[in-house]
Amino acid sequence: MIECNNLTHYYGEKLVFENLNFKVREGSILGLLGKNGTGKTTAFNILNGFLQPTSGKCLIFGEDTQHMSPKTKARIGFLIEGHIQYSFMNIHQIEKFYSGFYPQWKSTAYWELISKLNVSPKQKISDMSCGQRSQVALGLILAQDPDLLILDDFSMGLDPGYRRLFIDYLREYAKAENKTLFTTSHIIQDMERLIDDVLIIDYNKVLVQSSVSEFRSNFRRFDFVLENDETDLKKESFIVNIEKVKNKVELYTYSTESVVKKYLDDNHILVSNFAQVEMPLEDAFIGLTGKY
Amino acid sequence: MWYILIFIGVLTLAIFLPKLYWIAFEKPPRKPFILYSCVNNEFMIHRIGERVWVDTKGKQYSREEYEQKLPMMFYKQLLASGSMPDSIRGTALDMHAILREKSFFRLKANEIDAPRPELYPLFESRTGRAYLELPEDFFRITWRIEFIEATTNKIQEEKSQLFSAALFHNGFSFPAKFISGLPTFRKSCDEGYLIVDSKDQLFHLKMIKGKPFVKKIDVPEGVKFKHISCVDFNNKDFYAYLFSDKNEIYILTQANYKLINWAIEGYDPANCDLKIFGDLLNYTVIIEANDHQKAIALDKQYEIVDTYTEKWLVKEDMQEDWIFASLFPAQLSMTSDNSKFIRFYFTPSKGFDWIFLNLLLVAFHFIWLLKRKTKLKSHLADLGIVGISGIYGLIAIHLFQNKFFD
Amino acid sequence: MWKSVFYKEWLKIRWFIVGYTLLGVLGIGYMFLALKHSFAFTEGENMWHLALFQGHQFYSHFKFVPLAGGLTIAFTQYLPETINKRLKLTFHLPLAENKILLIMQAFGACSLLVSFLIFFGLFTGFSLIYFPVQMVSNSLITISPWMLAGFAAYFIIVLIILEPKWIFRFCYLLIGGFFMTIYFTLDGTAAYSHANSGLFILTVLLSVTFVFSAYRFRKGEA
Repeated sequence: MIECNNLTHYYGEKLVFENLNFKVREGSILGLLGKNGTGKTTAFNILNGFLQPTSGKCLIFGEDTQHMSPKTKARIGFLIEGHIQYSFMNIHQIEKFYSGFYPQWKSTAYWELISKLNVSPKQKISDMSCGQRSQVALGLILAQDPDLLILDDFSMGLDPGYRRLFIDYLREYAKAENKTLFTTSHIIQDMERLIDDVLIIDYNKVLVQSSVSEFRSNFRRFDFVLENDETDLKKESFIVNIEKVKNKVELYTYSTESVVKKYLDDNHILVSNFAQVEMPLEDAFIGLTGKY
Repeated sequence: MWYILIFIGVLTLAIFLPKLYWIAFEKPPRKPFILYSCVNNEFMIHRIGERVWVDTKGKQYSREEYEQKLPMMFYKQLLASGSMPDSIRGTALDMHAILREKSFFRLKANEIDAPRPELYPLFESRTGRAYLELPEDFFRITWRIEFIEATTNKIQEEKSQLFSAALFHNGFSFPAKFISGLPTFRKSCDEGYLIVDSKDQLFHLKMIKGKPFVKKIDVPEGVKFKHISCVDFNNKDFYAYLFSDKNEIYILTQANYKLINWAIEGYDPANCDLKIFGDLLNYTVIIEANDHQKAIALDKQYEIVDTYTEKWLVKEDMQEDWIFASLFPAQLSMTSDNSKFIRFYFTPSKGFDWIFLNLLLVAFHFIWLLKRKTKLKSHLADLGIVGISGIYGLIAIHLFQNKFFD
Repeated sequence: MWKSVFYKEWLKIRWFIVGYTLLGVLGIGYMFLALKHSFAFTEGENMWHLALFQGHQFYSHFKFVPLAGGLTIAFTQYLPETINKRLKLTFHLPLAENKILLIMQAFGACSLLVSFLIFFGLFTGFSLIYFPVQMVSNSLITISPWMLAGFAAYFIIVLIILEPKWIFRFCYLLIGGFFMTIYFTLDGTAAYSHANSGLFILTVLLSVTFVFSAYRFRKGEA
């Protein structure tokens, strides 16, 4: 459904990413994770045709995103970061407006969600809270019934209740109708509840592109306590990341426990309380990309 | 789209960059003030900026000597200083006569190429009152002559029919091409209007005691008048100065409606300002063009007695203009000194010195394109634009950047 | 689909265009009331003489009214589109981008046209009460560049609002400002007789240039 090839972008002299390649399969729910500044919004802008990459191409439904046909655009549901909408309209006007563009518009889907809102019929969107606005935005997307949903940070500015609402609705919707989702958020616990596949980018490269389950089973964390907290742990090739606070160490790797233990033995590093720790996605992400 | 923006940008810059340049650098040309002296039968020249008074042979005079050569013009000063002569060339200088014969007429080019009112007040010529009063109605000449009362905006049918019939019976062919008169009550008397009809015939129209007075005036064969200026001179010699399409100057005498051609050459109403000084003994016609002034003296029988032409340094000859012509290929202006109409007046620069700068700018833009590693083929048109429009095009192209992103 | 676009534009500008038109109509009404008052206190022939030979224009206060309309509609229509880069929403709609923009622009321009036609009609109607057709037609020739200026201002402001980079907004404002003076060069009655058609063509050309700014926005010039 989505295919990006050799995507490279510079902001002036600054490189954002280089030769980024990824695919999104039909029916998958893919989450894009990355630290601030790694180019998530840039990638979304390119996908939606709001930015021309320095080089490389993105295709959605086989069409170059820089020249998407109206037919293709009708199949894509788009959420802008911050749930930006035409806030001078009220809930009736905005539904009336959008319904004119999509022949398959599902009014009931919209109103089902909106009826949960506690707003007066004439209330302008600009007079609503962040959460209420997000609900309107979600309702509009569900009513549009697109094949592909691209959501740039669906959780921004929302309290836990609204975030949960979003996730539940989106997941149910995506699974029931075999829709494809491509999304990002800073709140990784939310993402974990929603996505099947993950794409983690770091400055200039893709770190992980796989299913969440596969990533979580392959990427491991081993905790141990050093006997000697002066020990200098060499960064071997199998070590993805090491976090050391005094004598407490967290070691992140794709390798197995035996490889780690062998390394410790070979370097005569004495440890205690050695254990593999199960990580939620957020911890795995931080382990992979490092704390600041 | 982008080319439209460039076009508008170039247009705007072509108007305002030259304007800015001239505001900064323009110097006024030195124009002399020329009059014919009946005392020494010579033209006297006052170079105003330099405070110099000379004759055509270059002989210098003091201010007092200069004024004494022009008693008709400076009679007040000469009377005050007691140096007014009693007679000149056998003609006694009677103050009444001097004042009666003194006249000044001026016609600027922009008064000819200007919007025309299309409605005129026809005064009552013989009111019997000391002062003229504006009539209550105004007339227009379309398929007939119509008088419209100003307060009610209604056509006065009876009057309109009466005057239309009078015109028709005198051979008037509607509509009128040109109507000339003095539509003000600030004149000594009313002499109606001179009207050119659709067949270039000339008519005199007046209202006398409410009744129409129409006189068809004999126009010499082949003469067509494109402009008429009615005058109100004390001597009542003629009704108007008339200007033919061959740039001839005629007068129409009041005595017997004779059209007399002043054999003046070198007058182009579209580009020249005209001044005619009349006095007891002579007429001095001053034709002022952009770069020269021609003075022609006539006697009272309208025969030419002397001419003199003087050129001066114009914008075009001065250094500022040479620099201008090297910088800008042309200038666009919405206004013109010779017209009261707004148009897009396009003036190409003299010579081709600007080509050097244009080539330089093309090279500059070429290098700029190379540095940006753009596909030169798609920008060939831009280089062409810079080549032709020079600095205007270069600024416009850089103002509207990135026409291609692909 | 264009109906929906019209609907959105109408929601944005309805109060402003109605309010502006109303104010304009009231202004014209006042202008003619003042004229009536002048006719009552001055002889009709003096009023005509002033207009015909002394360059008096009873409607000179109207000069910048169309310009104000153009500015108002441009801002009310396009500012809401650019806050928070909402233009992205517009571009995401299932219509060709330029088509949507042209529909939006057409709506704004037509709204202005309707207002101006109302002004024009009222002005002509009232003028013909007091003045003959030749004088009225000359005053309409005089007013025409002011009306065209209203449209030109609308088009230029849209170009500026949609432009993503501030430095270029400033440049467009500068050039646009100079360009606008072309419509107000001389005040003389009927002075624009020979220029109105050229100005009309320029104004029409200007109407589509905003697509360039939107294009720059789409390519990510911000």
